[in-house]
Amino acid sequence: MATTALVVDDHPSFRRFACRLLEAGGFDVVGAVADGASVLPAVRKARPDVVLLDVLLPDESGLEVAEQLAAEPNGPVVVLTSSRSAADFGDALARSSARGFIGKRDLTASALSALVGEP
Amino acid sequence: MSALRLALLLAGPALCAGVGLGAVDHDRLTPIQAVAGYGADFAAIAVGLIVWRRRPESRTGILLVLFGFAFALPDLRIVFHGSPAAQTAGMAAIEVVVPVFGLLVLSYPTGRLASRVDRGLVVAGFSLAAGYALLELLFLSPREPHAGGYTECFECADPWTHVKTYDVLGIRDGLDVAISVLALLFLVRLVRKLLVTTRRQREVVLPLAFAGTFVAVEFIVQISVFGAQVDSWTNRAWFWIVVASTLVVPLSLAAGLLWGRGARAAVADLVLELERTPPVPVRDALARTLGDPSLELALWLPEQRAFVDGAGDRVDPTSSAERTVTVLGPNDSPLAALIHDPALLERRALLDSAGAAARLALENERLQAELRAQLVEIRRSRARIVEAGDQERRRLERDLHDGAQQRLLSLGLALQLARARLGAGGNGADDLLAEADGELRAALDELRELAQGIHPAVLTEQGLGPALRTLAERSPVPVRIESVPDERLPGPAEAAVYFLVSEALANVAKHAQATSVRLRVAQAGSAVAVELEDDGVGGANPDGSGLRGLADRVQALDGTVAIVSEPGAGTRIRAEIPCA
Repeated sequence: MATTALVVDDHPSFRRFACRLLEAGGFDVVGAVADGASVLPAVRKARPDVVLLDVLLPDESGLEVAEQLAAEPNGPVVVLTSSRSAADFGDALARSSARGFIGKRDLTASALSALVGEP
Repeated sequence: MSALRLALLLAGPALCAGVGLGAVDHDRLTPIQAVAGYGADFAAIAVGLIVWRRRPESRTGILLVLFGFAFALPDLRIVFHGSPAAQTAGMAAIEVVVPVFGLLVLSYPTGRLASRVDRGLVVAGFSLAAGYALLELLFLSPREPHAGGYTECFECADPWTHVKTYDVLGIRDGLDVAISVLALLFLVRLVRKLLVTTRRQREVVLPLAFAGTFVAVEFIVQISVFGAQVDSWTNRAWFWIVVASTLVVPLSLAAGLLWGRGARAAVADLVLELERTPPVPVRDALARTLGDPSLELALWLPEQRAFVDGAGDRVDPTSSAERTVTVLGPNDSPLAALIHDPALLERRALLDSAGAAARLALENERLQAELRAQLVEIRRSRARIVEAGDQERRRLERDLHDGAQQRLLSLGLALQLARARLGAGGNGADDLLAEADGELRAALDELRELAQGIHPAVLTEQGLGPALRTLAERSPVPVRIESVPDERLPGPAEAAVYFLVSEALANVAKHAQATSVRLRVAQAGSAVAVELEDDGVGGANPDGSGLRGLADRVQALDGTVAIVSEPGAGTRIRAEIPCA
């Protein structure tokens, strides 16, 4: 059974291409939302295995959303992404309970699979 | 007016000497008594003339001259005892003494009565005096003193106006009661005058108020204890009391005059004080000279067309009951305004001369105030410019990030998808797409560098600590960070510290030939201190464009930068930036 995924990004074109890229890479994309507030309802409804979460969202930080998801029972695996580099966030990424970080320019289905597949 | 004063100046001594000699000649007084008695009258006339000349705007001088003459004139009756004219003039004049005295004291120091109550009191006094005078002029004969007159003079003529001799003792007693009541009211008004005046006014009024009290009490005692029977000619003790009460008035006024003379010395002191270095605040010096500790000084700023106080805030000085405003300098372009105790107006000359003496110092102080105001404005606008620049940089970075960068990233994903669909075949299209992907990545790198240079995203997102660590990681010369503040600082301070360190590290990499850099950033009170030291060749020029630029940025926030760069001893930059 394919891994289900939720894409969270406020840029429409990137969100669209990311969904198609993951679909092409074998993911089952069960939803896509544009802001932090929509994440929790979408996760509770669709129960994705993995959430690809943009760090810089218009309403709240992806880092905060990651903590909310970590507190969910049987929550999804969270992978953060951003157009900025990991260094721009200092040690905030390391302190986050998210599984990992993929820069947007390095985003591929296999890179995501590799992170999710980790035990 | 001066001719009149000259005439009075000649008439005064002549009158006093004449009646004095006459009184001795007629065995009325001993020579000592004559000298003392008429000397006191003369003193009143002389002091009155001096006050009249020196303070022409005040009527006090005229009143005092009148008082002196009114005291001496009646005694012409002794010299020209056979003359009905002298008797008439004497009888009329003697009654004027008491109300003139009341007017003199109540109206001091302006010579004008300000209150209606005082005016009523004085009018009542003059009316009673007219009553006395009529009584005497019409019905008394000096030869029959027991009928109510007070001067035994059996060889004297009757006044012109004498109608018939009556026993008017009863009417006199009634008038005496009335005048005693007036004297008591006068005392009450005098006490009130002292109570309502300011400290400064009290100094002026006190000597004459003392004299007034003395005379009023003497007068009341005379009337209530001795009645009309007392005769200073025959009662020796009483004579000296009358002399003393006559003398005390000109003496107290002379004291005020002497005190006025001290004003000139005070202004001279003021000039000396204002020339002292370091300069004394002009307000303090003026307050001391004018004896008004509550004095406020407002300087006129022509550019703003407004008065400002010492702190540079605008004020609008207006006169009120408690405070008077005196503007120094011409009305259309004043220099300053003094806001002071209204009593100082009584010493207009001192006020004017002190203002004139302080002119240069005030001009100086005004220039300084103008300069300070401009400096404050320049400092604020400089900080605003830097702040606006920072905001613009943040906005540009954000625009690049949200716009071009996002589109390029989407394009990258599209290329990936296209390559996946195309597979390995397609006439070398995959190679082309791979090349396009490479170009795209290079474009993204350049864009990121550009955005980073405009405003570092890490500074906006994570603050100074992570941003400085990023700088340190990128620096070709190893940087040891000893401390960075954990908490976020105000945006302008963070940006200033970041760009200072960034520029300094770039300089180290370019010129210093250093092997290591030590960086220390610590919040100390309401400022953040930055210390950056390398072990390179030193000799950096603090006025080089890079270092100059970062010093400007720090100074715009009221911070300081010190650069020590001896040749061969490395370079050390220390900066302190306010962040309250």
